[in-house]
Amino acid sequence: MKKFVMIHDENLCIGCQACSVACKNENQIPSGVFRVQVHAKMSGVFPNLKTDFTRASCVMCEDSPCVSVCPTGASFKLANGITLIDEKLCVSCKYCVLACPYNARFVNPITKAIDKCTFCYPNRKGATPACVSVCPTDALIFGDINDSNSEINKVLASKSVEYPKAHLGTKPKLGFIKNTKGGRYE
Amino acid sequence: MKRRDFLKSSAFLGSLACIKPVLSANAFTNGDRKSVFSVCEMCSTRCPIEVSVKDNKGVFINGNPKFSANKTSVCARGGAGINQLYDKNRLIKPLIRVGKRGENKWREASWDEALNLVATKLNEIKEKHGAKSVIFTSKAGESHTHMSNFACAYGSPNIFSHYSSCPITYNMVLEHTYGGGLSRDFANAKYIVNFGHNLFEGIVISDAKKLAKFAASSDTKLLVLEPRFSVVAAKADEWLPIKPGTDVAFLMALIHVWLRDEKYDKDFVKEYCIGLDELKASVKDTSPKWQENITGISAKTIERIADEIYKAAPKVVIDWGHKTTTTHAEYQRTRAIAIANALMGNYEKKGGIHTSKNASNLNKIIGENIFPTLDNPSNVFKVPNTPRIDGAGEEGSKNYFVSRKHGVLMDIAPAILSEKPYPIKAWVNTRFNHLVNVANVNESLKAIEKLDFIVSIDVYLNDFSNLADVVLPESSYLERDESILGVGNGYYMRNKAVEVIGDTKSGFDIFKELASIMKIDELYTYKTIDEYRMQQAKGNVDLLANLKKDGVVTYKVPSLYLREPKIIKEFAKTYPQIKDKIDSNGELSSLISFKTPSKKIELFIEKVEKLFPAHGSLNMVDYDVFNGHEFCLTSGKTPIHTNAHTQNIPILNELMSESPVWINESKAKELGLKDGDIVYLENEFGKIQVKLMLTQGIRPDTLFIYHGFGRVTPALKNIHEVGANDSILLGSKSGHICSTMVTNIGVDIKRV
Ligand code: SF4
Ligand code: SF4
Ligand code: SF4
Ligand code: SF4
Repeated sequence: MKKFVMIHDENLCIGCQACSVACKNENQIPSGVFRVQVHAKMSGVFPNLKTDFTRASCVMCEDSPCVSVCPTGASFKLANGITLIDEKLCVSCKYCVLACPYNARFVNPITKAIDKCTFCYPNRKGATPACVSVCPTDALIFGDINDSNSEINKVLASKSVEYPKAHLGTKPKLGFIKNTKGGRYE
Repeated sequence: MKRRDFLKSSAFLGSLACIKPVLSANAFTNGDRKSVFSVCEMCSTRCPIEVSVKDNKGVFINGNPKFSANKTSVCARGGAGINQLYDKNRLIKPLIRVGKRGENKWREASWDEALNLVATKLNEIKEKHGAKSVIFTSKAGESHTHMSNFACAYGSPNIFSHYSSCPITYNMVLEHTYGGGLSRDFANAKYIVNFGHNLFEGIVISDAKKLAKFAASSDTKLLVLEPRFSVVAAKADEWLPIKPGTDVAFLMALIHVWLRDEKYDKDFVKEYCIGLDELKASVKDTSPKWQENITGISAKTIERIADEIYKAAPKVVIDWGHKTTTTHAEYQRTRAIAIANALMGNYEKKGGIHTSKNASNLNKIIGENIFPTLDNPSNVFKVPNTPRIDGAGEEGSKNYFVSRKHGVLMDIAPAILSEKPYPIKAWVNTRFNHLVNVANVNESLKAIEKLDFIVSIDVYLNDFSNLADVVLPESSYLERDESILGVGNGYYMRNKAVEVIGDTKSGFDIFKELASIMKIDELYTYKTIDEYRMQQAKGNVDLLANLKKDGVVTYKVPSLYLREPKIIKEFAKTYPQIKDKIDSNGELSSLISFKTPSKKIELFIEKVEKLFPAHGSLNMVDYDVFNGHEFCLTSGKTPIHTNAHTQNIPILNELMSESPVWINESKAKELGLKDGDIVYLENEFGKIQVKLMLTQGIRPDTLFIYHGFGRVTPALKNIHEVGANDSILLGSKSGHICSTMVTNIGVDIKRV
């Protein structure tokens, strides 16, 4: 069985939003809403500064609060770890929107159903997602952790990968490599 | 006519399905999506791309996986190519002005009518005032080639590209110093000094990829000097918020230390450079202490950095950037960078700087014509010898060193207004937004008023096109076949991904047809773009076929640096032809040549000194960018938009719909200014109204704006009069020797 994981390397990420544009075109996301954006946050006091680039999208929780609260079964999980939404079953009650601790869900203004990142599974069936394919700096890595030769396994073995809001116990399948850059070294 | 909402109705989408032959022959099938391999044009970099086409519509763009430097990467703008293609604000019919200039009142015309009108007008003007009274402007690249060919056929010497507003300095400096262009080996360097070369915002995918990996590795050092905490600065190992315009002082102090301590590659300098004594004299007094008050960087830091770089040499790149500090002393700043590299002996060293190993260079190195080279069917067109309005290339002119095919954009408006050296009557423009991208907008506006006739070829009814008499709609790059271009070790070619939408034509066809209507097409040896391509390929049908199929053809060659014995030995295994050229020390020095007058790397430039006394040596003349004002306004690129071109594309506009001015938070508070305050920025050239954004990420004496907003485009409602046009505040006076546009300027903040 495949198990899909994505990693966002914050050191490689430059906040260019190529991922966001690719996602919108691939998944025909209407204007005003996004499945993914990368947020840039500058902190510190001049000249001791840093900028963190963090990915805001569904993190594919293994224990996903969105699925457990869904009254119609529209939100469901595949065995490969991907959380999906069956548009036809979705009644737009927005329970999942409130339950998601990652603020990843929104109402699609065209379909009126709830929408979010799908790892591009419906269109790409486990092949490289749109956002990962275009990233100019290769900051996104995607793959099957049950394939021992996969790039994702190499990264998991060699780098320290963290998971967002790990304390919540949702066991995300979107990890990140924390920013180490910034500050002034004089 | 008002703005055409040509995509507004679903009727358009319906009609799209009726346009039948959507795919060119080079498309192949891949499930229900077909891929066409082409070349991006959302910025000037031209990355190879794969366009997915489904149900006769372009649906997705990623990089061409066959091009290993980029693989499937594209930036946000590149991905938004299909959104430009279907932008309802695109021009799809030739327009003829019916109202007053700039009033945005048009009538649609047929191509026949529009082209005949242009032909008649240009013929009339030529008869009355001579061909030289028409100026031609374009962004450099393919549109510039076809426009130049037409201008030469017509007989005007007044051809301009965007060079003087952008890459002119480093091109000229490398030519003057090394005799030609050079590449930076970001992938293998150990130490990179970056003077605000904003590769993570002004994205060039192949370089951004390498620099990102470089910055993320633990055994390299990225030093960034920039007044603003940009994304490159955020990725640096060390960031020095240098005072704007003072890079040259930092560099002269660095060189001072290296020469003082004899910490430079003496053997290399002895063998390959000329002018060390003059260099020594020019940096005699530029000590680290001396520069402290100029740059704001401590002497101690300079000493440490000089040592670090020397220790990392030759695996160092001191990056000249693209268009970075831009002061009147830009030439000297970039010269200092070119010299600093030479002193570190990184020339033709892995991780340093090197000449391009393109097909013709490789053939020369190997001594055999192994790799296919191209012909240039445009070579027959020569710029007429008539004096130009900017004096480019003419002795006695300040623009002597400027190419006559590129010119100096900032000199256009003053020449029109003064009618010196002669009157200008018409302006032909293709794909260049002069009013946003060139200094002194107010003067340009006055100059345009004086003209009898203006033609603009564009994808949008942009600021400049809005003032034209005839607007010719160009097909977007996804609807055009274009010529073959060289890229690293190979070639790429733009292939039409979808059939033309609306009534648009390629720039190639527009100029070709115009030339034939005007019967000035004797020199054109080709009728169609296919014939042009075939002439380029010298009949190499296989090369063309592969370029049509794959978009890119690269030849696998082991990398080669002419001063790296180990790598040369490796290369000789594949190409034993080079064996007898290898020196006793393992280098290929017989293949190292510099096309400068002295045949050496010129640390001092005699030909410059002769025409511009004191400028053959390093100096800081006119480096100041404040001119007595409280702030220096700097500008730069964002990864979301390209100059003044993409702001209207909905998907990009949604990500970035305005551009406030960055101001240091503490400084703003001191002045009683708040985030979001609307103020004027003012100087001797103009005044713009801006919104302030308070941030820690900038020096207290510096302001910053992402360039490209502040447009006057009534046809483009989303961006009409949104944000500010910084070019209004820039003066026409260009940088010494290189004639670059000066984009750092002193301003004051005035309350509204
Ligand atoms: S495309 Fe890559 S570098 Fe750009 S914002 Fe997304 S993750 Fe970051
Ligand atoms: S991030 Fe939110 S939407 Fe995604 S799986 Fe977790 S709870 Fe559900
Ligand atoms: S994986 Fe697919 S759906 Fe998710 S953010 Fe990337 S492109 Fe969008
Ligand atoms: S950098 Fe981006 S916009 Fe420029 S050519 Fe490449 S993909 Fe296109």
